[in-house]
Amino acid sequence: MGPSMLPTFNEIGDVVAQEHISPRLGLLEIGDVVVCVSPTTPGRSVCKRILGMPGDYICVDPTERNRRYLTVPRGHVWLQGDNMSNSTDSRSYGPVPYALIRGRVFAKLWPELRWIKNGMAPISEPK
Amino acid sequence: MSKFFHNPKAQYILRKLGWVPVFAFFVDHVYSVASVNGRSMQPTFNPDSNKLRHDIVLLNRWAIAWRKYEIGDVVTLWSPFDPDLLITKRIIALEGDTVITLPPYPDKLVNVPKGYCWVEGDENFHSKDSNSFGPVPLGLINAKVTHIIWPLSRFGKVPIITRPGRVFYGVSNFSVVGNIV
Repeated sequence: MGPSMLPTFNEIGDVVAQEHISPRLGLLEIGDVVVCVSPTTPGRSVCKRILGMPGDYICVDPTERNRRYLTVPRGHVWLQGDNMSNSTDSRSYGPVPYALIRGRVFAKLWPELRWIKNGMAPISEPK
Repeated sequence: MSKFFHNPKAQYILRKLGWVPVFAFFVDHVYSVASVNGRSMQPTFNPDSNKLRHDIVLLNRWAIAWRKYEIGDVVTLWSPFDPDLLITKRIIALEGDTVITLPPYPDKLVNVPKGYCWVEGDENFHSKDSNSFGPVPLGLINAKVTHIIWPLSRFGKVPIITRPGRVFYGVSNFSVVGNIV
């Protein structure tokens, strides 16, 4: 799989389960882990987390000196790996068309069995 | 239950049902048919703008699974802006080429990046193509349109048309292109 999803998945040898229903029905949300055809290499699949849905205003790379902001266009999603320091994702190839998404990863089967949950928790503002 | 399986009629039906997954695989991955609406591919498809008449075409999915597409082929692809919409366009340029764009596009020249292609309709005026949404990932291409099946008067292969005057093949360096232009 590669190092891009490192805290969630190991570099090699992980087995995950994906379902093809929620991408078809448009039920994906921010925080879902998806398998998607790589926009740069059509024969390869990549596994990333959705960090932006159409219409969201996002910062391309917060570590850059001059931060660039853009709005995710209609029909696209913003994908990033969990290991942001070593991941080729939307920060290099831009928003990804929704039609390239093949499935949503919902469980990890190997080396340990567990559900992959939507990792996004709402941040409550301190009062 | 065993009586059901020994019934010759049931056996006959079960044997025929066995072909359903084979047929499904064939339609999904080898060949299928589709109808084309819209006028973006005139005059190749739907030459008269009558909206009641649609061309029916043969889609070759097997070639796309092995990524055998060339410049000039007509392909179907998922629209980048609407994941439920399948559009029919012609591949104008592949990765590493430089295209002279048409009006809606902001830049005059565009270099097609790796893994992307430039698609356009044959009728530029009525087509929403790469000139409005830019280069598209090759992974969006779904099938290759090889033959027109209906109407029978235009039955035959889909012609391969290239636009040599508008594409610099294999040129990805803008300064070189700038000297030519």
